[in-house]
Amino acid sequence: MARFAVRRLMQMLFVMFAVSVLTFLIFNVIPNSDPAERMAGKQPTERQIAAIRTEWGFDEPLHVQYATTMKKVFTGDLVSYTTQLDVLEEIAKGVPRTLSLALGAAVLWMVVAVGFGLLGAMRAGGLADKVITVLALVGISLPVFWIGALMNYYLGFKAGIFDDGGYVELTKDPIGWAYHLILPWTALALLFIGIYSRILRSNLLDTMNEDFVRTARAKGLSERRVLVRHVLRNSLIPFVTLWGLDFGLVVGGGAILTETVFDLEGVGQFAADSIAQFDVPPVLAVVMFGAFFIVVLNAVVDILYAYLDPRIRLT
Amino acid sequence: MVEAEGLGPWRAALRRLRRNRMALAFGLLFMMLVASAFAAPVWEGAAGRGPLANNLDGKIMVEGKPQNVVSLQGVPIDPTWGKEYFLGADQNGRDSMVRLLYGARNSLLIGILAALITTLVAVAVGLVAGYFRGPVDGVIRTVLDVIWAFPVVLLGVALGTALALGGLKVGPIVIAGDSKLIPIFVIAVVYVPYLARPVRGQVLSLREKEFVEAARAQGAGPLRTMFSEILPNLSSTVVVFFPILVANAILLEAALSFLGAGVRAPEPSWGNMIDSGVERIVTAPHLAIAPGLMLVLTVLALNVFGDGVRDAFDPRAKLRMET
Amino acid sequence: MRKLALLIAVVSVPFAVGACGSSSEGGATGGEITISQSSQPDFLDPALSYTVNGWEPQWLVYTPPVTYRHEEGEAGTQLIPGVAKAMPKVSNGGKTYTFTLRKGLKYSDGKPVKASDWEHTIKRVLNLESGGSFFFEGIEGAGEYVDSGKSDGDISGIETDDQSGEVTISLEKADGQFMNVLAMNFSGIVPSDTPFKNMSKTPPPGVGPYEFTKSVPNREFVMEQVKGFDIPEIPKGKVDKITTKIIKSANRQTDQVIKGDLDYMQDPPLPDRLPEVRSKYSDRYKEYTTVSTYYFFMNTRVPPFDKQEVREAVNHAIDSGALTRLFGGRLAPECNFLPSSLPGYEKIEPCPFGAPDGPADLDKARALIEDAGEEGTAVEVYTNNDENRPEIGQYYADLLNKIGLKAELKSLDGGVYFQTIGNAKTKAATGFANWFEDFPHPGNFLFLVDGEAIQPTNNQNFGNVDDPELNKLIDTVQAGSADDEEVQQAAAEADRLLIEKSYVAPYGSEKRSIFLSERMDFENCKSFHPVYNTDYSAFCLKE
Repeated sequence: MARFAVRRLMQMLFVMFAVSVLTFLIFNVIPNSDPAERMAGKQPTERQIAAIRTEWGFDEPLHVQYATTMKKVFTGDLVSYTTQLDVLEEIAKGVPRTLSLALGAAVLWMVVAVGFGLLGAMRAGGLADKVITVLALVGISLPVFWIGALMNYYLGFKAGIFDDGGYVELTKDPIGWAYHLILPWTALALLFIGIYSRILRSNLLDTMNEDFVRTARAKGLSERRVLVRHVLRNSLIPFVTLWGLDFGLVVGGGAILTETVFDLEGVGQFAADSIAQFDVPPVLAVVMFGAFFIVVLNAVVDILYAYLDPRIRLT
Repeated sequence: MVEAEGLGPWRAALRRLRRNRMALAFGLLFMMLVASAFAAPVWEGAAGRGPLANNLDGKIMVEGKPQNVVSLQGVPIDPTWGKEYFLGADQNGRDSMVRLLYGARNSLLIGILAALITTLVAVAVGLVAGYFRGPVDGVIRTVLDVIWAFPVVLLGVALGTALALGGLKVGPIVIAGDSKLIPIFVIAVVYVPYLARPVRGQVLSLREKEFVEAARAQGAGPLRTMFSEILPNLSSTVVVFFPILVANAILLEAALSFLGAGVRAPEPSWGNMIDSGVERIVTAPHLAIAPGLMLVLTVLALNVFGDGVRDAFDPRAKLRMET
Repeated sequence: MRKLALLIAVVSVPFAVGACGSSSEGGATGGEITISQSSQPDFLDPALSYTVNGWEPQWLVYTPPVTYRHEEGEAGTQLIPGVAKAMPKVSNGGKTYTFTLRKGLKYSDGKPVKASDWEHTIKRVLNLESGGSFFFEGIEGAGEYVDSGKSDGDISGIETDDQSGEVTISLEKADGQFMNVLAMNFSGIVPSDTPFKNMSKTPPPGVGPYEFTKSVPNREFVMEQVKGFDIPEIPKGKVDKITTKIIKSANRQTDQVIKGDLDYMQDPPLPDRLPEVRSKYSDRYKEYTTVSTYYFFMNTRVPPFDKQEVREAVNHAIDSGALTRLFGGRLAPECNFLPSSLPGYEKIEPCPFGAPDGPADLDKARALIEDAGEEGTAVEVYTNNDENRPEIGQYYADLLNKIGLKAELKSLDGGVYFQTIGNAKTKAATGFANWFEDFPHPGNFLFLVDGEAIQPTNNQNFGNVDDPELNKLIDTVQAGSADDEEVQQAAAEADRLLIEKSYVAPYGSEKRSIFLSERMDFENCKSFHPVYNTDYSAFCLKE
């Protein structure tokens, strides 16, 4: 068990390393533009460009540049090419916003999906089930940037029920915080509600046919008790791990579209803006940040699974 | 779960699919959307204006009165529901309906091609990894893990943006930065792990099956075993995955174009039409609504149809895709 | 309820009656206002900032040796002494500039201002490889200073005397624009202990009516009035405190100005909202024509734009009515390359390509392309993705197609656009370009078409315009000061030559706007400066 965990962790570190190299390469090897020329402003002389190159180390071989940049990621000295601001500080400013968005949306989609999934499984084949199936399919077909923009316009701007976009700090005004986030939460959760309610429904239906459930029923327990005590509990285990993975995905930049549409200025939006500026240090840091969440949660899930089910270690 | 024989289960599955009216209806809807994309030039002929033709200070007759296509303050005309400017104009005075139909071509083409490439690569990669196991599998799995570890949209935007400036040059192959091949390539790469992982898993279990061992015992090489024994058994997985893959590729294309890293203007795609439409949502909401509706209809059609296909072929397959 | 959070930030101090601003004709003194920008200014550090977003607030924090009168229009282009006691003396054939600091000047943190601080100020510009380095490289020893890479080195061409407060600057050669350079934000004096690094998070103190008291990049920055600031002809400002919030969405800014949560937005409302703002809030919205030029560059080194007929065809085809619509009406059409309020501007009349606000002549354009034998020639058209640039590029590409060329649009990200088209390797044929003035001198626009300024990278002469006659005129323009008769004549002639030979295809100047909340005194307290745009020191609340 311990050996598996260690191996998995090593693998995780390697993936993180590869992700950082790949990101670095995307912006350095694919022929685009010279950062020194970009930073030099409107009418620089050769001398000035040369000075920038030396100072920022753009004249070094690529692997040296990579090594210096990565060192800076860990020492916290990473500085943006365009604004010369501390990258980690800028990311830290976005984290509470991204976390607020992700947490709220994750709770919302979990609660609604469990409700829908239960209802669908209990009334399998009935009208409620069919309606939920259709809604779920619509949910996974809605692009978040489109439905988000429409919600923003019709519910925010036109009807004036919500503020259209923006963020209020939780510590300053908790009600304002939630109020500003209702639309983004909903927009982001729609997709996951669709996915999760369908998965839960089929998991529940599978579990209902298992022996221990039949036994429970045979013992004369009420249908509701069987459902909650036995079926739901057993179906939720894979469900919760899935939830962990998706949460990592959303925090790690998966919410880039939602953040952009609602102008939340979280980590994802920061990454999108930096990409447009070809500002490598922030992009590298955000991708690492995102990959970290995804990789770590993946590894945790794998190790947990291995712990629960020894067969996994064989493959 | 997967039978060793050839046509039997296929026929049964198709019969099951034929009985699923809902899936068939949405499949038909998808075919109609594809047909409308093919018919774009016909509508262009009727409207008298191509998808790229600006008409900023032109006037057209609406109910017998001349009207600015774009007002002096830059507000485009509302839907006329006539031949010209059926869905109104965009900020450059172009015919939205014509652009919508041509946009359908780009969105569908990119989605389908990207999904095809993803499928080919993922099956090949999954096949090799699952069959040979050992170090080959290790390398492939790590590569897939690395792609998997990237947030999908972030990777897509980063690749799309970086490639757009310099294009892609691999040896003698040069692809211009604004080529549609770039979003196709980007989307195809991003989704490979989603299909390659289940394929690999399936191959791992298939290669231990008796009929594979029998083929090997009879002296079949790895290539022959892979292609004639294992590959046919993957077909139902591929068939189940494909419609959903196309749906997700179309969604990702729209997302990339929305963020400015997919189809490049002035070429229309639903994503970039939504992007520029959102900027005019107050004075001309139809500019954002129409391409979005087309997008949702297309993706929904594929999802419902895909659902039917899954039920028919492999009801227990657990599919998970997201953008 | 939901407005609560925002209101807390705007709780206003009871209006202090008394100490009044410079030219107050009405409106209250004191109070706090909240305004917005759409993105973080590039830098809140005078050594580095090189955008209007940055200069607009910093003008009130960092006063250079000379500065501009705080007036609208032409009056605002007049140079006045800033931290210098009097206008610098020019001697030695225009190569030496001497000025003396005012007595008893203090920074906003109370420390006295020394003459050597100014050398430090310029060292920071050069050592930080600022976009402004260019302007100071003509100072003797500036090049050696940069090459040495040592921040504490000496610039031999700047002599300072802390005792008398005298500063002497020696240039390598006469530069007619140097007086304007001394009025740039880069020259705004900062203390000698200001570190050699980007100080945007903790902007250094300066000499000015306001000081930065808080800066959280990408979120907000706060300016507070400096009590005791006193330089004649520089207004002391009226409101006590100005909080600038960074709000990405222009629509949200517009909503908040309408509701009164914001008192001013720096960017104009989006075209989508302009009709509504113009009609409903005309009592607090006004547009001003900036000193800017928007044009399509045509690369004379890339066929078919090496042919004058082809370039003329483009000029004939351009339709300012169409372009005005793409600006939501915020464009002042123009035939000249030089903007109308620049010294040396002479209206070209009649415009050889038809009145600037008249219709285009596509037939004529098509005929010219045909005559030149360039029908169907492929051209790459460049534009970027900022603001309305995509639409402008799409319009332009379609237009070139309509007159017989075969245009292909290349759309680049705004962050890399000018550097890419200014790289000789790109061979950009034609595309979008614009320029806003750094200072009111025609040389600041004509360098964009100066054949002697062409360089392989970071070229600003995108069209590679290189005409001996034009180059000579530009030399004359750059040698003298803006109020020089000879300079103005040469500038006007260069402008005419540019249009006659169709080296560029200009179409107008952009209009910016001042849009204020209801509680602001719109009548009396707004001022739009030709160089620094909105003058925050004029802002006041209603009485």
